[in-house]
Amino acid sequence: MAHDWQADFEQLVDEHQAMVFSLALRMTGDRGLAEEIAQDVFMELDRNLARIETADHACFWLRRVAMSRSADALRRRRVRGLDLWVEMEDRHGIRLEPPASPLGTRLEQLLATLPEPQRAALVLRYQEDLTPEEIAATLQAPVATVKSHLQRGLKLLRAKAMHHLKEFVRVKEQASGD
Amino acid sequence: MQEFERELRQALERRPAPPSLKGRIVQARQRRAQSARRWVLWQRLAASLALAAVLGGGVEWQRHVREERRQGEAARQQVLIALRITGHALNQMNTQLAAHGRAQE
Repeated sequence: MAHDWQADFEQLVDEHQAMVFSLALRMTGDRGLAEEIAQDVFMELDRNLARIETADHACFWLRRVAMSRSADALRRRRVRGLDLWVEMEDRHGIRLEPPASPLGTRLEQLLATLPEPQRAALVLRYQEDLTPEEIAATLQAPVATVKSHLQRGLKLLRAKAMHHLKEFVRVKEQASGD
Repeated sequence: MQEFERELRQALERRPAPPSLKGRIVQARQRRAQSARRWVLWQRLAASLALAAVLGGGVEWQRHVREERRQGEAARQQVLIALRITGHALNQMNTQLAAHGRAQE
């Protein structure tokens, strides 16, 4: 089918580098690795540029490849016996760049402790604002499975965050009381 | 739950990519394009060399066939000359024997 849209590689990098980098960063928790994955994803895009038909297709393709490459990287690390998150926090004391609120920072750290499929579903839902159907298409998984990952992930994350959330609400209430 | 989801959405806002990322991607892309061009050049060079070898071999083979034919022709001419000389000598001997026979009679 003929289409007027012409892929401009550098423009696609400009538009989507934050998305690809953020997905890889939240899935792997390693900034250096996330940069490598992002570079790898865009190199793959360059190889497949002729097959990209629209801007939306490019965005979908980049999301899918970024998630798949991140999962591959995590698998390789697991095979080598490294748990990135544990290594980052325990051995190097590295933290992700803090989001605006302390609760946000804590949520991001807690998200990293979730099982990989739940983390992937939550990242796509709340970072990329995708519907369960879109997440299912991106992760090439059944919609029911994605919905289950979203529900369980959210429940688990909420349970983990409960203590911190209470603290946060208490501090907020104190601040508003003053 | 909605409040929690709102917080989560805020916490998971996209992070800006490192400023050097695009530059590295563009450089890697250029390196790969150069490497691909070099590979195409090598392929063309190899194809040209193979073609030259085939053509050269063909020309050499034709030259060899022509040379063999020339040598064969030269050998044939030499045999014909030798046969002519032999024939001439036999004729002379025949004549001499006939003359000698007549003389004895």
